[in-house]
This record gives sequence, C-alpha cells and structure tokens, in this order.
Amino acid sequence: MLKVANLVTEFASIKALNDISFQAKPGRITTVIGANGAGKSTLLRTISGLERPTSGSIKWFDEELTDKSVEAIVRSGVAQVPEGHAVISQLSVAENIELGGLFRKRQARGDLEIATKEVYELFPILFERRREPAGSLSGGERQMLAISRALVARPKLLLLDEPSLGLAPLISAQIISIVDQLCKSTGLTVLLVEQNANTALAVADHGILLALGKVVADLPAKELIADSALRAAYLGY
Amino acid sequence: MSKVKTHKVIGFRSTRLAIIFFVFILLLSMKFGPYNQFQLANIATLLIAVLSITLLTGASGQISLGQGAIMAVGGYSAALLVTRLEISMWLAFVLAIFVSALFGLFLGLAAARLSGPYLAGTTLVMALAIPSIAIRFDSFFSGDIGFSVDYGYPPDWLTNLLGEITIEEWSLYVALPFAALSLFAVLNLSNTRSGRTWRAVRDNEVAASLAGINIARTKIIVFVCSSALAGLAGAIYGFRGLVAPSVYPTDLSLLLLTAAVIGGLRSIGGAIFGTFVIVFLPDVIERVTKFLELPETISIYLPALMIGLLLLLTVILNPRGSAGALEHIRHRHKH
Amino acid sequence: MNSFLTAFFAGTSQGAIYALVSLGLVLVWRGAGVVNFAQMGQAMFTTYIASQLIQNEYSYWSAFVIALISGALLGALVDLGIMRPLSSRKNSQLLNSQSMRTTVPVIASLGILGVLKALAGIFWAGEERGFPAPVPTTGLRLGNSDLAITGFDLFVIGVVFLALVLTTIFFTRTGMGLAMRASALNPEVTRLSGIRVGSVRTLSWAISGTASSLAGLLVTPKTNLSPNTLDLLLIIGFTAAVVGGLTSLAGSVLGGFILGYVIAFVNVYSAPENVFLAILIFLLLALFLRPQGILGSKEVRRV
Ligand SMILES: Nc1ncnc2c1ncn2[C@@H]1O[C@H](COP(=O)(O)OP(=O)(O)OP(=O)(O)O)[C@@H](O)[C@H]1O
Ligand SMILES: [Mg+2]
Repeated sequence: MLKVANLVTEFASIKALNDISFQAKPGRITTVIGANGAGKSTLLRTISGLERPTSGSIKWFDEELTDKSVEAIVRSGVAQVPEGHAVISQLSVAENIELGGLFRKRQARGDLEIATKEVYELFPILFERRREPAGSLSGGERQMLAISRALVARPKLLLLDEPSLGLAPLISAQIISIVDQLCKSTGLTVLLVEQNANTALAVADHGILLALGKVVADLPAKELIADSALRAAYLGY
Repeated sequence: MSKVKTHKVIGFRSTRLAIIFFVFILLLSMKFGPYNQFQLANIATLLIAVLSITLLTGASGQISLGQGAIMAVGGYSAALLVTRLEISMWLAFVLAIFVSALFGLFLGLAAARLSGPYLAGTTLVMALAIPSIAIRFDSFFSGDIGFSVDYGYPPDWLTNLLGEITIEEWSLYVALPFAALSLFAVLNLSNTRSGRTWRAVRDNEVAASLAGINIARTKIIVFVCSSALAGLAGAIYGFRGLVAPSVYPTDLSLLLLTAAVIGGLRSIGGAIFGTFVIVFLPDVIERVTKFLELPETISIYLPALMIGLLLLLTVILNPRGSAGALEHIRHRHKH
Repeated sequence: MNSFLTAFFAGTSQGAIYALVSLGLVLVWRGAGVVNFAQMGQAMFTTYIASQLIQNEYSYWSAFVIALISGALLGALVDLGIMRPLSSRKNSQLLNSQSMRTTVPVIASLGILGVLKALAGIFWAGEERGFPAPVPTTGLRLGNSDLAITGFDLFVIGVVFLALVLTTIFFTRTGMGLAMRASALNPEVTRLSGIRVGSVRTLSWAISGTASSLAGLLVTPKTNLSPNTLDLLLIIGFTAAVVGGLTSLAGSVLGGFILGYVIAFVNVYSAPENVFLAILIFLLLALFLRPQGILGSKEVRRV
C-alpha cells in the first residue's frame, strides 16, 4: 500500500505539490489526472526520490521513502518510467533493457534472464530490434522500451508518467492494456499519470484529480469518469 | 528610476573608490621601506592583470588560464616600440593596450565558439606557446635574452615637487595611476548596461540569447576589454627591467587566477585583496620559515603549497571568495 | 626514408602515451563533466612513488603495479574529497550560474595541481631525476642495419595496446562498463535503474587516474622526472582530446595518435622549438574546422 501524506514539494518560488495526501491500493491501478503544470510529474518524481520534498511523508508499506536516495528507492521495488519516452538513445535496445536489471545482476542472474525474456515476449518488436540503437525506435517503441527497462527490475510499484504522450490512440490503448494485464497477473501496483483521462481511468481502480499542486478529487475511477462537471472545471473537456 | 540617473551615481562611486585606492597605496608607501615600496608597485601592476580576470570570469563566466601570455603580448609590444622605434614609454604603454586589445579580438573570435573547459584548455596551451614564439623568432624578439627596458628617470617637475625620488618610488608612481584608472574603468563597466548584459550571458546563455542578447558579440567584447587590461599590466610589468619569456611563465597566469579566485571572482574589492595576498604571502612565509628554521627544501615550495591550498579552500568553503565570506558575515549580523 | 621511419615510430610510441592521457581526460569529462587539469599532476606524483620504491630496492614491476594502484586511489580521492562536495553545493550562488558550473571544478583542479607539485617538491627535493625502463632504450638492430625503433618503443606500444583492449572489453562487455556509459549519457535514467551514479562517477575518476599514471610511467624514461615534466603531456593530451572529440573515447585515442605523429614529424622535419607553436596552431585549426572533434557527436557539445 502506498500512503502519501501532507506532501509538499517546492521549487525556487512555487509549491508544485501543496499538501498532497492520498492512498494507492496494492495490485491496482491508480490514475492521476490534471492539466499541464498541475504537479503530476513532480508527484511521481518526489515518490521516486528525484525531487526532495519540503515536508510530508511517502510510505510504501512500512518503508518511509522520503529520506532515501533514488537508487535505494529503486532497489526497494519502486520503478519509474519518466515523462517523454526516457530511454538512452545512444545505447542499443538490449543495453537499455540490461541497464534496468543491472543492479540485481549478482543476486538474481537467473530471474533476470527470465524477466528479460518476458519483456521481449510482451513486446516482440523490441526483440527484433534489440541490436539497434534506441534512438532509431519510433515513439511507441521507445515507450515500450522505457517500460521494459522498468519491468526487468521486477518492481512492486510502477510509476508511469504519461505513457501515451505523443502516441496514436491505438498504441496508447495497447500499452495501457498491457499494464492492466500485468497488474492482474503479477499483483503490480501502478500509479498512472495521464492527460487523456478516459482510457487511463477505464482500467483504473481509483482516480485522483490534481490542480495547482492540490488534490481536488479522490474518487473511484467510475465516479470520476461520470463526473463531467468536475472534469469540465479542471480539465476543460 | 531612469537609467541615466543610475549611471551617474555609479560613475561618482567608482571615481571615489579609485581615488581612495590611489591615496591609500600612496599613504602606505610612505610607511614602507624601499623593498615593500617595490612590492606595492608590483601590487599596482598585477592588480590590473587580476582585474582583467575579474572582468572576464566574474562578469562573463569565461575562464582564461592564459592571462600571462596576453601580458607578454603587451610587454613585447611596448618593449619593441621603445627599443626599435625609440618612442616614449608612456606612448608605448598606450599602444600596447591597443595591440593586446587587437590580440584579444582574435582570441575572442575563437573564444566565442568555446565554452568553459575548452576555453580554459585552449588558453593554457596559449600560455605555453606564446612565450615560445619569442624563442622561435629570436632575431626579432631576441629569444631568451629578451629586452632590457626600464621606467627611466622621473621627470624634473616631479622631482622639483617631491624632492629626491628613489627607483622604488618611481616604479610605484608609474604603476599606480594606471592601476587606479583600470579600477575606475572596471568599476564603471561592470555597472553599466553592458556589464549587466555580460552577467546575463554568464548566468544563462540560452535565456540571454532569448532575451535578444548577441552572445558571440558579447563574449568578444569582454575578451577585448580584458585583454587590453592584461596587455597594459604586461607592459608595466616588463618595464621593471626585462621583457623576456621567463618573465611571463605559465605560473604567472595561474598566480593571477589564484588572486582573482581568492578574492572572489565577482568582486573588485576581492581582486585588490587577492593581489595583496599573492604578492605579500611569499614574504610572510619566508619570515615564518626563517623563524622556524625549516629546511630549504620545504621553504622553497611552501609558497606554492599555500597558494594551491588557498585556491582549493576558497573553492570548497566559499566559491565566492573572501568577498563572499565577508558578505555572508555581514548578512548574519543583520539578522 | 630513414628519417621518415624515425618520425613514424617515434610518433607511434609517443602517440600511444598521448592516447592514454587524452583517454583519461575524456573519461572524467564524460563521466563527471570536469576537465581535470590536475590529471598529470596526479601522474607525476604516482611516478615519484614508483621512483621512490625502486630506489628502496623494490623491483620495477612491483613499483609499476603500486604506481597504477595509487593512481586509481588518488583519482578516487580527488573525486570523493573535492569534486563531489563541490558538485553537491547546488545552492551556492556561484554554482547557480551556468558557465560557472564548469569553471569552478576547473579552478579546483588547478588548486590540486599546485598542491601536488609543491608536495612532490617537498618530498623529493624537486630536482630532475631519471626513471628506469624495463627494457633497453637503445635502437634495435636487425642483422647489420639499425632499426629506427627502440625496444622501449615496442614495450610502450605493447603496454598501451593491452590497456586499450582491456578498456574496450570493460566498456563493451561488462555491466559496470554499461553503467558507466549510461550514467555519462543520461544520469537520471541511470539512477532510475537503481545504479549508484555517484560511485560510478568515482570509478571513472579512478580509471582515469590509472590511465594517466601509466602514461607517467611510460613517458618518464625519456623525459626524466621533475614536478613539472608532465605539464606538457597534459597540454598535448587536452589537444588530442579536443581533436578527437571530447565526448568520444575512441576519438580521444585517435586524437592521441594524430598528435603523436604531428609532434614527431615537426620534431624531425622542422625543429623541436616549433612544437609548442605547432600544438597551438593544430588546436586552433581543430576548433575552427571541426569543433565537435573527429568522432565527437554534435548535439552533445554545447557551445
Ligand atoms: N525543476 C523545476 N524547477 C522549477 N519549477 C519546476 C520544476 N519542475 C516542475 N516545476 C514547476 O512545477 C509545476 C508542476 O510541474 P509538473 O511537471 O509536475 O506538471 P505536470 O502536471 O507534470 O504537467 P504536464 O502535464 O505538462 O507534464 C509547474 O508549474 C512547473 O513549472
Ligand atoms: Mg508532467
């Protein structure tokens, strides 16, 4: 269970997260929506340790994450797929995937091989292009690669930042349904950030609406989809 | 508040500060014996070179490890003009400023394309290569031997005014007005609009270029101004007696950078402080080693060790130098 | 013909040494964003350590190995003791400005250089001394004719070749090598992969320290050893790195060999006193004609 309580993250002059509290159920998808600049990426980056919060707490089961380093957080089972298809374009596809599991190469070499095989089965196109530089992939393939890099670490909590950014609706629906299946089959907990609420909320258990660094709605996903007045006020559609 | 008004106020302030510096050094020299008077002359000369770094690094963020080579350009220009064309020393100094500014223009054309570490390395190569030109073309630059040049004699009107003037006093009287003028010029420059432009480029090139500042031109102008100062310093420095490759070694470039860093790369007061430190520190250390009767192997290298440590400590403890530390203390007192 | 061969072999063996120096510079520049002007000061120091050991009757090879290990330790120490604390001072006002972030480590490295030189002077009296070579430095003979290459030249080329092969294997075949490449290219994604980027950075300082320490051991039998002897090597290595592309490891090695040939041919066909000037001209030409270097990538180098 992920418990975020009274989280505040500040940049020079602005409070990007202003007293945020919510919970995400284990084995489920929790979707975070909000307009540009609402603080969605900052929320994920604070959970994964890339940004230091000014105050508040982030608890992943019994572990407090706020005082740990990024590396330690990742090693305790939290993986983030950052915004914008973050892969290392000069490295090959296979190297990008290898990178994701590198930290557990010593303890779990066998499982790492299985995990690598699994992501190649999930995204066969990556296997075909494994020797090519990641920079030569299309946007959708890069997103698949970024997710694969996170998955080989065998995370228990996956933080996905706008996986459908810049992708055709069909491909983004495909990616989201793969994530959904993973959740159901492996008990993975997912925090999914999206601009386009409908597909993301359809698979989610719970929806959180952020505006100007505050939680303005925290509802079961179905209710959030139905509440058109709320969406119109904060998202404009 | 209008721009014109700010400018006037600042012009007044820089005039006052330059005069205070001038008078302060003069008063100090009256308390000193000949050796320390000569050291004061060194301070006045090297201050000009240190200011050239403060201007360059502090105002634009660019770093040059080759200010000594530019000093050599100034020194050789003045020495050649005086020995070959037999023009007056004062005129030669002024012409040396122009020659080194021109040199700075070429350097700036290259530097405009370079950022931090590239520029540092390139200027370091330059610091090594330029003195070797004098050896390569030794019929023109007279090789290792160099040119013997000096400040000559004080004019009659000055001796009539002040009475007997020693060599040490005269070298101070030659260097000090130039130092005060340079101080005035740098103080003014860094507070005008162009000074603000330079700092914008230093802090964020992308933002500055979006604000319509021509980055390349700005960098070139900074280099020209800085080289003009360094060239002047080099000319005065050489006329203490000798203009030769050995007078402008790479270590001189590094020493000047140290002075600028110790004082705080952005502060002109810091430049003055740093110059005092590099000139007087070896003397102080010599006294200490004599007092403690340290072996010679240690005492030779102690000044270099102290200067290296000072450089490191400054950067680690307070990258803004002693000026930054002072500000910090003052700030605390207010609260 | 004979002078051509002399220049060619001298260029190859000197170029091999320059390649090591330039490789060391590029490793730290890519891995930590610092051009380490103290690099050859570190190498000078470890060569003195080796020289001291040999004086104390240690064998050449044990001194050789200890010098390489001290090179690695010194490199790591520079990072842990000075560069890392510097880069973690994010809120320091001076480091907030873009250009100063690269300038301040350069200044720190100059301070380290000064301290190392002064310490070497104090410990080892600072006078020039010779440094032994494990094989003869006289010209080889084949039958009756003198060859233009010495046994030591061959030794240098062999050792550097071995070092370069090992480095290549390390970077392309091992997980640690992958982690180092990744953290140089994109530290954020690398950290999100659970890799301790700080330790990886320290490792690149250590490898760079070892490479330059090796360069020091290989060059001093010809140049002798004093606190200042290796300064020139830094200048040449920097030029080689820029020529090859400051961001490319392969480019840095290539640049080293190019510089080796340029300097050897200037030495043989022109005069030794032209070498400095040749380096400066070559550097300026490289910067004007191909600022990203021969193998450097354009987008990485922000001008
Ligand atoms: N490194 C930073 N420095 C300063 N301000 C930042 C930084 N990162 C984010 N911000 C600010 O914090 C606020 C929230 O940004 P964030 O990236 O979290 O928004 P977002 O909800 O992810 O938006 P988008 O949908 O456009 O990705 C914005 O006002 C942004 O400008
Ligand atoms: Mg975002």
